Amino acid sequence: MDAYLFSQYLLSGIVIGLIYSLMALGITFIYSIMKMINWAMGEFYMIGSYVQYALLVTLLPPERWYLALPLAMGAVFLLGVVTQRLLLRPMYVGGIERRDEYATIITIALMVFFRNLAIVLGGPNQYAPKDYARATTLGTLPISGNRVVALVAAIVLLTLFSLMVKQTWLGRAFRGAAQNRVGIQTAGIDVLRLDMLAFGVGVALAAAAGALLAPDFLVYPENGSISTFKGFEIIVIGGLGSIPGSVVGGVLLGVIEALGSVFIASAYKDLYGFVLLIALLVLRPTGLFGERERTV
Amino acid sequence: MRGRTLTTKAAAVLVAIVACGPTAPALAQKPVKIGVLTPLSPPGDASAGQFIVRGAKMAADDVNARGGVLGGRKIELVTEDDSGTPEKGVAGFRKLATLDQVVAVIGQFHSSVMGAVQELAEQFKIPVFATQASARSLTEKHLTYTFRTHVIDPDRVSLWNRWIKQHDFKRVALIAENTDYGVGLVEETKRLFKSMDVQADLKTVIFDRAVVDLTPQLLEIKNWKPDLVLNGGVGTPVYLVIKQAHDVGLFPAVPMLVSYDLPARPEFWKNLGDKGAYLTFIVYYHPTMKLTSRGEAFRAKYREQYKEDPVYGALNAYAQVALVADALNDAKSDTGEPLVKALLSNTFEGWNGTISFSHGEGPYWQQWTPPMLFLQYTKPEMPFGEAKIVFPPQFKTGDLLMAPKR
Repeated sequence: MDAYLFSQYLLSGIVIGLIYSLMALGITFIYSIMKMINWAMGEFYMIGSYVQYALLVTLLPPERWYLALPLAMGAVFLLGVVTQRLLLRPMYVGGIERRDEYATIITIALMVFFRNLAIVLGGPNQYAPKDYARATTLGTLPISGNRVVALVAAIVLLTLFSLMVKQTWLGRAFRGAAQNRVGIQTAGIDVLRLDMLAFGVGVALAAAAGALLAPDFLVYPENGSISTFKGFEIIVIGGLGSIPGSVVGGVLLGVIEALGSVFIASAYKDLYGFVLLIALLVLRPTGLFGERERTV
Repeated sequence: MRGRTLTTKAAAVLVAIVACGPTAPALAQKPVKIGVLTPLSPPGDASAGQFIVRGAKMAADDVNARGGVLGGRKIELVTEDDSGTPEKGVAGFRKLATLDQVVAVIGQFHSSVMGAVQELAEQFKIPVFATQASARSLTEKHLTYTFRTHVIDPDRVSLWNRWIKQHDFKRVALIAENTDYGVGLVEETKRLFKSMDVQADLKTVIFDRAVVDLTPQLLEIKNWKPDLVLNGGVGTPVYLVIKQAHDVGLFPAVPMLVSYDLPARPEFWKNLGDKGAYLTFIVYYHPTMKLTSRGEAFRAKYREQYKEDPVYGALNAYAQVALVADALNDAKSDTGEPLVKALLSNTFEGWNGTISFSHGEGPYWQQWTPPMLFLQYTKPEMPFGEAKIVFPPQFKTGDLLMAPKR
């Protein structure tokens, strides 16, 4: 086996895995708090990339991409908050019996709606913002400068998120809601408002991934589908509801795909993650960091 | 007396109707509908579909301005989006055939969609035209209602094999998507490498069309050390391969040939910036080409209307709607069987030559093939019209340029 090629693939896998873990983190965070799966996560990724592109061709010069990034995240955060308030909140206050089905139907409808809205507003064509940075090398790996930027930004965002969850009052409230939605209300916390914030933060993380990868993976109405797919793979591998699981699952998925590409064939790259996923479902159905739900 | 007055009035009305000539019945006649089933949303190559619709609409306008077909009936286009997926294509074709009752369907771009709808064309007896679907199998089935005015993959591959031989490329990598088109290109290239005695090693990599990160595949190709890369993507994957090959240092150090005319589109440079320089690509039309009078009229009108040069998809869709209109007049009928007979027994003015259909051997069944040229962009933001023709030798306006070492 070619060690040089192996190291290139490994690095490439770790880089893309860490970037995808942003997406997985968003999915798992929303699930932890709201106990629902957001099937439209890829569309928030897509909207993040469109907002980033729109900002960089209208209000900001291309080299100010780092200013556009928080603006894109902020815009998608607000969209998420409004979406949650109008469409998802009723499932917690309206006495809806089958919440899972309600959430699935609403978020799949949102997925179709946002994709078609993107086609209506921006047309079906692809767009690409200018590169954020020049191509470079990372160890043995020749890599796009955009991907290095995305990697650094993903690490920063993951760190900030982790600090927020562990060190702040809001983070403690989120952790409390993740453990017991009823219990936290006895402490005087408005769990419905917390849901709104959690949904906004989760989709803003997806938007960050979309905005960061826009120059490399382009901006078009379906660009979020593959990252949603990866995000779901990662949370199953890492464990649904586990924040460290999202990061470890992301890196593991990237590495497995890379190793499969070296040892078997790069043409089946996307198959290897599924093999790992199936193996985990058989051996450890809760994922690497997931815990069995405790029942009384 | 009163009876005589009524008779006189009735006669006057009759005379008035007759005097109005053909316009009065034409107003009453129902339009002849032609379907445009083409990709207008992802994952299909939606940009291609938009150009096809433009050309088809302009043709319908021109035919209607000339008085329509079948003694004054107007052409009405019904556009359906197939999204580049067989299931949507089939649903769209069914709707066109049953609800809209179209007489013909043009606009097919993706081979996998065309492959799915051509069976329905047989069932409904409605001619379907491949506008840019090039898989060999489509016309090789020898179906009665399938027509194509576009190149077929064996011709495309045999031309690039001739180019490979001419430049003495020794290690050729083909990266293609997992569609009928991409897989067809891989199979044709393997087959024709042997039969044409191409003295080069061939590496083929097939990737999933939905994948956006092609870094592992491109690293594998780079480490194989090719001296030519063939890009067999369609739509977004074409851009992804070019961008990511650039980022891993594969292209432009190693020349790359894109298998169709996507780089001719106005949005090409917007999406790639200077990463598109030194790219070679196949086209079927070049702005310096001499066209037929129909083609020239279309080109002038298109330039006036859209302030840019037409691309091949628009030209071909224009020619297809125009030839269906001509065939309807020849057939004196708007039903399938006479229309097919008329298509087979007449010649039609295309955009760059006379189009005729015959029952040829293998994939040359009801097939008309436009010319193919290899063009190269030698600097960033180079207008399509200035790109040099580097192959075939009889049309050459420049030599293939290698990128300076970075």
